[in-house]
Amino acid sequence: MDARHPSLVQRQPRARRGPLSGIRVADFCWMGVGSVATRMLADFGAEVIKIESRTRLDMPRRLPLYKNDSRSFGAEDPDPDPDKGGLFNNYSRNKLGVTINMRSVEGRELAERLIAQSSVVTENFAPGVMAGWNLTYERLRALCPEVIYAHMSGFGQNGPHHSYRSYGPVVQAVSGLSFISGLPDREPSGWGLSYMDNQAAYYNSAALLMAIMHRNATGKGTEIDTSAVEVGVSLLGPDLLDVTVNARPTRRPGFPPGNRLEHPQAAPHGVYPCAGEDRWVAVAVFDDTDWHRLTEAIGNPAWTTDPRFASGSSRFAHADALDAHLAEWTRQRSPHEVMTLLQDNGVCAGAVQDARDLNEVDPQLAHRGTFFELDHPVIGPARFEGTPVAFSRVEQDNWRSAPLLGEDNSYVFSDILGLSTNEVADLAAAGVI
Amino acid sequence: MTTSQTGTPGSPPLPYSGLTVVEWAGDPAGEGTGRLLVELGADVIKIEPPQGSPTRRIGPFAHDVVSADTSLTFWYYNFGKRSVVSDGSESDQALLHRLLVGADVLLITLRPREIAAAGLDYSELLTTHPQLIILSVTAFGLDGPWADYRTCDLVGLAAGGPLASCGYDDHSIPPIRPGGNQGYHTATSFAHCGLLLALLDRQRTGAGQLVDVSMHESLAVSGELANPYWFYPKVLVHRQTCRHAQPVPTQPALFRCADDRWVYFALILADRKPWDALVAWMESLGVAADLTDTAYDDLAHRQQNFQHIQELIECLFLLQDATTAYHEGQRRGLPIGPVNAPEDVLDDEHLQARNFFTTVAFDSDLSALVPTSPYRFSSFQTVAPTRAPRLGEHTGHVPGAEEADR
Repeated sequence: MDARHPSLVQRQPRARRGPLSGIRVADFCWMGVGSVATRMLADFGAEVIKIESRTRLDMPRRLPLYKNDSRSFGAEDPDPDPDKGGLFNNYSRNKLGVTINMRSVEGRELAERLIAQSSVVTENFAPGVMAGWNLTYERLRALCPEVIYAHMSGFGQNGPHHSYRSYGPVVQAVSGLSFISGLPDREPSGWGLSYMDNQAAYYNSAALLMAIMHRNATGKGTEIDTSAVEVGVSLLGPDLLDVTVNARPTRRPGFPPGNRLEHPQAAPHGVYPCAGEDRWVAVAVFDDTDWHRLTEAIGNPAWTTDPRFASGSSRFAHADALDAHLAEWTRQRSPHEVMTLLQDNGVCAGAVQDARDLNEVDPQLAHRGTFFELDHPVIGPARFEGTPVAFSRVEQDNWRSAPLLGEDNSYVFSDILGLSTNEVADLAAAGVI
Repeated sequence: MTTSQTGTPGSPPLPYSGLTVVEWAGDPAGEGTGRLLVELGADVIKIEPPQGSPTRRIGPFAHDVVSADTSLTFWYYNFGKRSVVSDGSESDQALLHRLLVGADVLLITLRPREIAAAGLDYSELLTTHPQLIILSVTAFGLDGPWADYRTCDLVGLAAGGPLASCGYDDHSIPPIRPGGNQGYHTATSFAHCGLLLALLDRQRTGAGQLVDVSMHESLAVSGELANPYWFYPKVLVHRQTCRHAQPVPTQPALFRCADDRWVYFALILADRKPWDALVAWMESLGVAADLTDTAYDDLAHRQQNFQHIQELIECLFLLQDATTAYHEGQRRGLPIGPVNAPEDVLDDEHLQARNFFTTVAFDSDLSALVPTSPYRFSSFQTVAPTRAPRLGEHTGHVPGAEEADR
């Protein structure tokens, strides 16, 4: 009988299920974009081996998102427990973890042996870091014919700004996404999250899946260069065509329109105050049918018969007055009460939900099982964000929470690469792993 | 399977070469998914009602001429597709069934109530077409208490969570929707990945399946730090002006420049390298003031004087225009971004050097720049964008239908 903690016994790597089973990924990704991108591969059966440095810990291992320990981002522990970070657990579930010191010759040799036993290699360092370790596409092809080699960066692998530094908010600013977000005639409100870390990650997941599918069909590997800024520009939406087709600049009075909607002209269309502190509900009325449903649902108060609100264009023209009336009604109710009442009457409405609402109130997410739990030897049971897709055949294979630092060194270096126990011990003693 | 129209003869096959997609989609989430498939070689046949897809009625319009064929919203989401309209001799369902005979994917955006009203049954379709992948992209998914609820970009972002993190420091102002249909675009990203997982499964097993994508869930897992802050320390994040929502307030990150434009710059006090780079930059412009004092070598001292430091950074940026600040800051290793307007990115030397934009002919006398696919593969080239179809442009010219007739 194994004397170790039961949760450690269950953590032994096993054969994976899913459409990517049998595919091994040498994963040099860290931070947000890369880790989220390869997470989808790990979720659906790929053996993703995360290669980490013991001396330069992955940022999500360091950020102080600790269970039952509330502190701000700035209050980072100077000597953090690398296995306690919640964000790392969230990003690296279902992956294996090894440590390699890439600054040592032996470390780089070990990495090359691992690449030779893999068929996909991923990285999101600053351009040039992998080449500095001689891990170019040419070298990788020599190690592993028809390899898929994915680079994920802010600006791409070439071009005059390829070495510029970025993270989510910088990408959002450079690509135009921040500018188009906010109230008119003042500074943009932009984004309160690294939207582009998520979107760049999702695009990179798709690029990897396309490359794998393409190789299955043709036998051909590929190198991939995805720039987060270019993904961001491609997401700007129809406003960009208004600029290029109509030569209408977005630096103009009245733009961006905040929560108002000009295309199509909709009113009421906004976010309205509710009972409680900083609670809000979004309501969107697109046509006369919607308007009559709304007025019915709220009991036909006298102001709804105001001739200014009789047609769509007139409602749009008098949106300020309309919003003030509707806000008086929403203010007396909870966001979910408004949402349910209006939606049950066929009106488009949604509570502005925070993370507590998503996790503890939202009946739809509970029904769909969007969040799931896995145990972790240091953190204990934790919740995870699942894949927002229900498949009739494909199954998400949640086999383990995120790896402890170097947790799978023995499995990967001995079982996969064939090193003896003594050799692995020597590498550890020499600081190579 | 039909042969893709796209891609030049003799060029290497693309991931979706030979893939035929029948699109029955009426919102940006579904139509955007079809657009991504076109970029990588799929033949996307869009079934439209006689009056056209609802997005054809959403502006802005080319040269402000309102018509079914001039909506820029429709153009943006439907590059390179083919449009088929039932000619009245058969029902929409009959047309759909005819097209599905040659199809690999049905991309569809109907809610459960609408599926029933359209007389469709997905499990029946999968029985009839065992290799078909039904890619359903809906507001809330195909089951659950909210499955028939309506959505739009604003409501999706609200209920899904991201909206709560976006807005201004002043909380008397409601959360503000980020622009550009990003709620829909988030659903599109998961629809694309979901389809790919199903296609990979079909490569191995030959079997199709139902892929049920929920915009609500897509957004609920895309709030970045909001959920982890709730999963672990059990705290909520609060919105701040154009920077990360956090459990406690942090210093502003938008700075006004001499040309009245903004840059984004968040100083991480704990990191020594950017601090030294910043002070050296300020010194070169004569606004370092007392920041060169050795007392600032101590993190605690920097933290105590953060407000004072911020005020000096404000001076630094007021001395130069946003473009200069961007390149000079980046040259010094600082992650600074100018708050570009969409028209600014068209002139960006980096994007131009990477040939990111291309010209699309929309009409005989109308051409304009559009972004190319953001994917770059060494083994094959993505499809250059071509204009969206005019309403019913390909009615009667659909290979799938011809095969079915034979």
